[in-house]
Amino acid sequence: MSILLSLFLKLSAFSLVAFGGVNALLPVLFNLAVHQEHWIDVQTFSDYFAIAQAAPGPNFMTVTLIGWHIHGVLGALLATLAIAWPSSILIYFLQRFIMGIKNPMTKQMIQYSAAALAIGLVLSSAWEIALQINHSPAAYVLTISTIAITVFTRWHPLYLIAIGGALGVLGFI
Amino acid sequence: MSGFGGVLPWARRTLVERDKILTSEEFSAILGICQIVPGPNIMNLAVCVGSRFGGARGALAATLGLSLGPIAIVLCLALLYEHYSYLESVKGLLRGISAVGVGLIASTGFKMLRDEFRYPAMLLVVLLTIIAATVFHLGLGYVVLLVSPVAIFIARKKAQAL
Repeated sequence: MSILLSLFLKLSAFSLVAFGGVNALLPVLFNLAVHQEHWIDVQTFSDYFAIAQAAPGPNFMTVTLIGWHIHGVLGALLATLAIAWPSSILIYFLQRFIMGIKNPMTKQMIQYSAAALAIGLVLSSAWEIALQINHSPAAYVLTISTIAITVFTRWHPLYLIAIGGALGVLGFI
Repeated sequence: MSGFGGVLPWARRTLVERDKILTSEEFSAILGICQIVPGPNIMNLAVCVGSRFGGARGALAATLGLSLGPIAIVLCLALLYEHYSYLESVKGLLRGISAVGVGLIASTGFKMLRDEFRYPAMLLVVLLTIIAATVFHLGLGYVVLLVSPVAIFIARKKAQAL
């Protein structure tokens, strides 16, 4: 029971600092789950990351899978609840406050600074996670090609995931 | 449920373009708020949109509706993974997908970065954040504490300029 409680508390705290969404904080989640709490190993983390990317739905599913690894369905539900409730309650009250700010300048200012911070966090996150889960030059080539294709074309991400998966099955990555 | 590769674009299409529940400006404003607040962006969005139409109960319904289906699917995949993860082809499959996945996260960042070129001084904030997080490996709290004064200062100028 104590590991469930610790899972719930640690992930709840994580939720409250997850500026820029869960993807911006994957390295923090990685450290927490792999190095600090030893919930899972590096390989399982990157496999769960892949499954969460390939599955439909919100991209915080890596968290759900970590919970599942620890304590089955109950762990999965608890982990998802933990990641969602603190920020949900926070925004429930905060949205009225922010919508209520009359000065459009102040509103803009908050949005601009938050956006810039989020971009920095997302890019750092991608970099640090790439260092953990890419083990071959081919994997980096695939990551960089993905960036180039999604930035310069309008391909649906699902095609890229399918291509990446196929290349992996064929043993290229 | 059909939100492959993140739910955000799909949410926009459904709420704004198909069902016309929100106008485009309202959607952007709500999304902007959701990105300021920590936590899963899409959950925050569900809380905002849900509470607008049904108070706390609407918020709860929206978040549950958004997460229960995908959780069921991802757990089925996890079961398959338990049984077949020893296969060399499954390992390769996951390696390929995660390499693409990390690229997708990076490209979200790069796409958002494009908007910042409208006011290049803001790039300094992005750069500072990256340096603090990756070179100095500061914890998130310190990154936010360190960068946000600069961010607010430049954002103020940007708000005045644009």
